Amino acid sequence: MTAAPAPTDSVLGQTTPTAETTAMARKARRTAPRRTERRGGGAATRVVLATPFALLVLLAVVGPSLANHDPERVTGSTSEAPSGTHYLGTDSNGLDVFSRIVTAARLDMTLAISITVLTTVLGLVIGLLVATGESRRGPLGWTARGAGRLVDMVQAVPILIAGLTAASFFGRSPLVIVLALSLSILPYQLRLMRTEVLWVRREGYVDAARLSGEPTWTVLTRYVLPNAARPTLENSSAVFGMAIIFTAGLGFLGVGIPLPRPEWGSMLAAGVSDALVGRWWSALFPAAAIGLSVLSAALLLSALSPRRR
Amino acid sequence: MSVAEPLEATPAPSPTPVAPAGPDDGVPRRTPVAVRALVGAARFLGRWLASTAVFAVAAFFIVKLIPGDPVEIATGGRLSDEAAQAARGQLGLDDPWTTQLGHYLADLARLDLGTSISTNRPVADDLADRLPTTLQLILLGLGLAVAFALVLSWFVVSRPRNPVSRLMSTYARSAGALPEYVLGVVFVFVFYAQLQWAAAPSGALDPILLPPDPITHVPLLDALLAGRPEVFRSYVDHLVLPLVVLVVAHTAILMKTLIGSLDAAIDEPSTRFRIASGAPYRTIVASIYRRALPPLVVMIGMLFGLFLSGAVVIEALFGLGGLGQYAVSAVTSADVFALRSFLVVVAALSMGVFLLADLVNSIIDPRRQTGIQREEAR
Repeated sequence: MTAAPAPTDSVLGQTTPTAETTAMARKARRTAPRRTERRGGGAATRVVLATPFALLVLLAVVGPSLANHDPERVTGSTSEAPSGTHYLGTDSNGLDVFSRIVTAARLDMTLAISITVLTTVLGLVIGLLVATGESRRGPLGWTARGAGRLVDMVQAVPILIAGLTAASFFGRSPLVIVLALSLSILPYQLRLMRTEVLWVRREGYVDAARLSGEPTWTVLTRYVLPNAARPTLENSSAVFGMAIIFTAGLGFLGVGIPLPRPEWGSMLAAGVSDALVGRWWSALFPAAAIGLSVLSAALLLSALSPRRR
Repeated sequence: MSVAEPLEATPAPSPTPVAPAGPDDGVPRRTPVAVRALVGAARFLGRWLASTAVFAVAAFFIVKLIPGDPVEIATGGRLSDEAAQAARGQLGLDDPWTTQLGHYLADLARLDLGTSISTNRPVADDLADRLPTTLQLILLGLGLAVAFALVLSWFVVSRPRNPVSRLMSTYARSAGALPEYVLGVVFVFVFYAQLQWAAAPSGALDPILLPPDPITHVPLLDALLAGRPEVFRSYVDHLVLPLVVLVVAHTAILMKTLIGSLDAAIDEPSTRFRIASGAPYRTIVASIYRRALPPLVVMIGMLFGLFLSGAVVIEALFGLGGLGQYAVSAVTSADVFALRSFLVVVAALSMGVFLLADLVNSIIDPRRQTGIQREEAR
């Protein structure tokens, strides 16, 4: 692969700061028994850390039924301050901010979770295949090395710009947004998986499995995959954060899910003109929704992963 | 972790560094820097051209995959049948796709990026007018972010127990949590709407001032060349808040990277060797930074792409009128050919920076030269 060793594995950076520290941590991990690795507080701490994300998922499930106004219709006068009828006020078109935020939760969360799942699954599978194939000769090796190069090139296209062009080429539908963002976030997961597989492949138990006559496929799926998947799975919460940020970013630019369907990014963009004249509510609450969901994913990560410095 | 510690604990380093120049310089045969740079530059150019060609071909086929007729989409079906037919003929859409691809690649090689369907202007001219504005924003932002990261990380690493450095390492760990548009809206609200410190987020220049003659197309430079300090000041005033947003949004990831690699570099035997052999503090710090820089350089290469995304958002929010705004307006007018060229240019740019980071790293740290493949060799 061209440029990047380990430090580029995650732009959100919730994993692997440098090649060196990763290597050191890895050595420590490999020599220590699995149990002592999780020093990140007890089960109670972890439950607390995972709560915000659970609440967010709950909001996505029940969100639309919490709305006390029609989220796509004008239900009050323009730019009303938060009150008993409009809990979070109304925006410059007279749409109820609270109803729109809770309705949008389902859309934004569904998109982000789809992107995360798709990226992680593809990253695991392709990463495994690239890492095991790239040192071979013949067409298999060429394909794997070619795929590695291709991934480098995909990574060179800025994610938001990939999403923007895809949405304008193929339509501003949820499917297009999910596919475009998944493809452009994929390199981060794939690289992580590839590096880890290259490590795990050299472990004794993989040799043992191979020597005991297990077919290659079984060696890959039963020994390499489960032992190499962990960093990629952990990083999926960072991917979730990216997915939220870029989905809402497309909405903010006005090239995401079309209006009047509520979406946090486009709500934020609509709130800017109000914020300029001091009416903060129609911009602050969507911004908070985006920020809090990224934060909840980061907290989930620290609940799932071993303690880091 | 701090530099001071090994100074006091001098017995530890003595047995390890036997190698003549410290383990970080342990290259058997050193090719001269000039030769290395030349070979590196040739490789860089070759790889950059190859990947740009792949991008161009990929963009061509992506546009081919779009369902429907591009002329129809861009004009919204407002053209009469004859006019649409003429436009199709002019764009070469009636030729077989192999001919189209050939023309397209030949045009690209001559830096002709085609004609916009909606404005009827050459896309290359449009992009050349706007690219400097965007690059000015990105490079200033990137430069400031790197400068802050270099200084602040040293503070965090050398004073780990200081409350300020704890605060900063918390900030570094929050990397990527706050997107530019959220920060941008918050900052506009606080610093423009409430405090009135920043200029209005509606353009790169006060509306009463005329922009200077485009000589270099870099706004700040043009204002200076035209000898109009009031225009220069207005540009700066309108650039401050966007830059603050970019820097605050992206310094965290740079700091996080650098803190990690500085921590590792400080503990390497090379540092102890230099301390033990009585090198001045300056030399020790320089050596630590030299070993810690490669991950940062890689990260800068990656960040360029993120800054491009960021610039699209920031330009939309502050109305700075660069490449990003051009792209957004090309999206709204469904100008697929302009967007195709935009995509190729952006990909070529960030691939160039990506590869440049590689080149710089192979000069800073000979172990990272591409032939060696350290990653695979582990």
